[in-house]
Amino acid sequence: MHAIEAIAISKKFGDLLALSDVNFFVAEGETFGFLGPNGAGKTTTIRILTGITMPTAGTAMIFEKDIVKETIAARRQMGIVHETSNVYDDLSAWHNLMFAAELYNVPRSVRERRGKELLELFGLWERKDDRVRVFSKGMKRRLTLAMGLVNDPRLLFLDEPTSGLDVQSNLIIRDVIHDLTEQGVTVFLTTHNIEEANLICDRVAIINRGQIAAIDSPERLKKTIQSVQSVEVAFDPPSLDRLNRLRALPLVSEVRKEGDKFRLITEDPATVIEGVTAYAQEHQVRIISMTTIGPSLEDVFIKLTGLVPRVKGVKVID
Amino acid sequence: MTDFSEGCGQLCRELKAAWAIAKKDIRIYYLKPNIIVSGMLFPLFMFLAFAIGRDAPPTLLVPGLIAITILFSASSIEPVSIPIERRTKTFDRLLSAPISLHSVVLGESLSGFLYSAGIALVPLTAGMIIFQTPLVQPAALIAGILLTAFCFATMGTLFAAYPTESPGDIMSMLNLVRLPLIFVSGVFIPVNALPPIGQVIVMLSPLTFGNDLIRAAFEGSTHFNPLVDLVAIGGFILLFQLAANHLYRKFNE
Repeated sequence: MHAIEAIAISKKFGDLLALSDVNFFVAEGETFGFLGPNGAGKTTTIRILTGITMPTAGTAMIFEKDIVKETIAARRQMGIVHETSNVYDDLSAWHNLMFAAELYNVPRSVRERRGKELLELFGLWERKDDRVRVFSKGMKRRLTLAMGLVNDPRLLFLDEPTSGLDVQSNLIIRDVIHDLTEQGVTVFLTTHNIEEANLICDRVAIINRGQIAAIDSPERLKKTIQSVQSVEVAFDPPSLDRLNRLRALPLVSEVRKEGDKFRLITEDPATVIEGVTAYAQEHQVRIISMTTIGPSLEDVFIKLTGLVPRVKGVKVID
Repeated sequence: MTDFSEGCGQLCRELKAAWAIAKKDIRIYYLKPNIIVSGMLFPLFMFLAFAIGRDAPPTLLVPGLIAITILFSASSIEPVSIPIERRTKTFDRLLSAPISLHSVVLGESLSGFLYSAGIALVPLTAGMIIFQTPLVQPAALIAGILLTAFCFATMGTLFAAYPTESPGDIMSMLNLVRLPLIFVSGVFIPVNALPPIGQVIVMLSPLTFGNDLIRAAFEGSTHFNPLVDLVAIGGFILLFQLAANHLYRKFNE
């Protein structure tokens, strides 16, 4: 059984086509990443999958329940962690959690036990009676995630769960996501952090301008763009002057300075290694380190979404 | 039988969720001292502005004060709280919960209803003590206060459906309706003293029927048949609930 099946979903806002014939499925127990630049249609997709917004055409099945026709039955299976930490600042952490549980009709004894477990899991038990107004951004985020889990969902929608958080909150949230996937919970994750998607997702979809540009496992997606393999090299002494000379090496399509290293983009790393070695000997500089790097998921994202580096070495990946 | 129990189960879940929303609103918005005080003061000053210097009997003034207190207190908070919840995205929490929009509308209205029914006790008590107005029909008073409070709480929720994150946008629209209602509902001028056209216009205002019931509690008689009052307010409640449900759905698309 699929946890999610998006079937030919289209969404128009007036004349604007926000989503066009979006099709994909998420298997039960899978961690599925949904990537795309701002305005690509990520939020609209989540709002349709959770039944907040109706599609103009098509539908989505959540564990075989039609989200348009059986909205309530479909929603009972899911937990939703919205992009904004939408907690009630004037309620305590405990009352926030209990309110979320009541909306999901979790019986009192269960919600009180579950509430205690979750607040302990997210390191908030000691602050359970404090108003959320005084919480840090990370604490609010953790509480939002706890509220999304209070009904023991089979499917969890996570919209930017770790964006802009402190290290402690980041680690706690990533650990929890890891534990959830081990327990067989299906996770639908949108994130700006492409490395995060690369690390925790079984498959990712890249959406651009309302259309799915690619869906596959991170490793398979990387294989589709072998033209962006690269050689990373550090010289002693380091010098910016080398940039133009490295650009002139055969089969180098682009050179980026990244910290104290240079990254040479190429289709043929072996030839570039020979060129770099010859360059070092000719100019009598030492090579401190040299590594070949395959295409990253970020490279795939940039290629498929048509984004370009804003300045040399800095990529626009919002 | 299974369908029936499933239906009852769903209804029970919906009512529990509506109650949870009402409790949440009461905790966050209604129990604040400034809200309680302003809920009493605004109608009081409005009442004084109309009552001072007029030779109106207490049996007209006290029900009028109770009626406008209910009108303003019941319909004031949701038009503020819902846009704020849209801005903080907490409203999305309600829209994405496994409950129907009816429960969201009912829950939001319930909190305004409870607040308003509680606030109405203040002018009632003050009026009975200061003006020595005897209570003739307690049942009419209870029905009048409860139904009118629920009706205007639903009206507040209906106006709050307008998709804005700014409370001012809704309050300005709401006041365009609320303020004229005071003059076309027999609050300060009895319905039978109005010109014929006025007697037709009053039928469009739910406050007319609520005020009529509350006045009956003190005067012992109603302008309309009490059953007409009850049915009319019930009709307005149903209309506002359905319209609110429709608008929240429509604006959310």
